Amino acid sequence: MNINLKIWRQKDKKDKGRFKAYKLQNIDPNISFLEMLDILNNRLIKEKLEPVAFDHDCREGICGSCGFMINGQPHGPQKATTVCQLHMRSFNDEDEILLEPFRANSFKVVKDLSVDRTAFDRIISSGGFVSVDTGKAEEANSTVIEKSNADEAFLSAACIGCGACVAACKNSSAMLFTAAKVSQFTLLPQGEPEQKERVQSMVATMDEEGFGACTNTGACSAECPKEISQENIARLNREFIKSQL
Amino acid sequence: MSIFRILTSSIGKKVLMAITGLLLSFFMVFHLFGNLFLFVSEQAFNSYVEKLNYFKPLVRVAEFFLLLFVFSHAYTGISLWWSNRKAKQKSGSYSKTNTSQAARTASITGSFVFIFLITHWATFWYKFNFEHPESYYQVVLGNEVGFGNPFFSVFYIVAIALLGYHLKHGFLSAGQTLGIKGTKYEKIYVGVSSLFWLWIPLGFISIPLWFGFIKQVVSP
Ligand code: HEM
Ligand code: SF4
Ligand code: FES
Repeated sequence: MNINLKIWRQKDKKDKGRFKAYKLQNIDPNISFLEMLDILNNRLIKEKLEPVAFDHDCREGICGSCGFMINGQPHGPQKATTVCQLHMRSFNDEDEILLEPFRANSFKVVKDLSVDRTAFDRIISSGGFVSVDTGKAEEANSTVIEKSNADEAFLSAACIGCGACVAACKNSSAMLFTAAKVSQFTLLPQGEPEQKERVQSMVATMDEEGFGACTNTGACSAECPKEISQENIARLNREFIKSQL
Repeated sequence: MSIFRILTSSIGKKVLMAITGLLLSFFMVFHLFGNLFLFVSEQAFNSYVEKLNYFKPLVRVAEFFLLLFVFSHAYTGISLWWSNRKAKQKSGSYSKTNTSQAARTASITGSFVFIFLITHWATFWYKFNFEHPESYYQVVLGNEVGFGNPFFSVFYIVAIALLGYHLKHGFLSAGQTLGIKGTKYEKIYVGVSSLFWLWIPLGFISIPLWFGFIKQVVSP
């Protein structure tokens, strides 16, 4: 198949950036989206041009490195799929495909499609951990945890921190990410003792980092590759309100 | 919750917006109840207003709180709108798929409702309280600021429709902000939501529709 790419090119943080068009011919529909970009980059390198920068690591949907906007959707058109797991067969021959970095003032563009998501790391380091003694693996296995809580915590922990939720949101809010991270601890007994300080300081960091406030449009969950649900945000709100009472 | 955190944190502001929005929504129930006396008779409506006048000090306290709610609600709304504007990059796209129009336009419909409230106070409320008309019924259905004037009828119908649209998102959004999703109260809450965004606004709209266009009491 042939495709017409339009890719955001931006040298560094200071550069203004612009779209550039690229044509690729005879692309196998069964290769992945990132492999298609590898083909483009090999060509650019041969032509002694600057390859397109984009983040990636595991390429199996678990690390959270990859992610950019494809035709206005974070991670592209396929539901519950990271861009590294997207295939060219999701597109049609001669399609025009627009690639942009995730846009949010808290995610500055580093280069081309790669953005600085260290704001997420700072949210995590302000409370997304357990520092009480939880014992060894045996203790973990012998701690009685309600099945429904364990399942919910597992679903929340599926968040890979990719930032698509922020990019999807008209307010550039990081509520879904923060909510998932608070939830995965709240729901388990090991997270309980530090719950109050955790939720307060993670929300404070989220605000300080300049993310917007949620207006419950639901765009985040709809675009999240791990389908993190809105219930996490409700839980975050409950925990935050409780922590202030 | 400490007052300081309410006014400084994003979730605190949202909670304040949700609570004040819900209290205003509940007020609409009482307001509509009173308005419906217009359909009974001139005398019934006038004597209802007279009864309220009898409890004037209480009504004043209620009015003070309603005003406080409207301003707290608008203040938090505008403040969140402003910080969200700053968080967003002007260029580039965000996702419009899978989100509702009502959600995306809540600040616009809210602002229109605010203009409506100012008009409402400057006309009916002012006349009721400071001009002591002979018949309140004639003020509401008359052609000066009432529904005998097609301009006011249309304005009211549009404004209430937009308020309903504001609440179509707002009522459920307030539930989410207060953490109702995923709890045992979610079903009931979603169940009653249409009362607030659909049925009560329709009740309000029925008045300018009937007396403005179907059975005029005072002609323009
Ligand atoms: C009597 C009139 C009003 C009622 C009953 C009402 C009710 C509500 C409710 C229940 C919410 C949901 C709160 C939440 O999202 O957590 C809301 C949201 C909101 N309201 Fe109002 N409101 C009224 C007037 C206004 C006015 C005058 C403004 C003017 C600025 C306004 C602006 C907003 C905004 C910006 C939101 C946020 C919506 C969102 O979550 O995206 N509202 N309103
Ligand atoms: S909530 Fe979903 S979209 Fe947001 S960072 Fe986690 S996995 Fe990515
Ligand atoms: S590269 Fe690891 S999730 Fe896509």
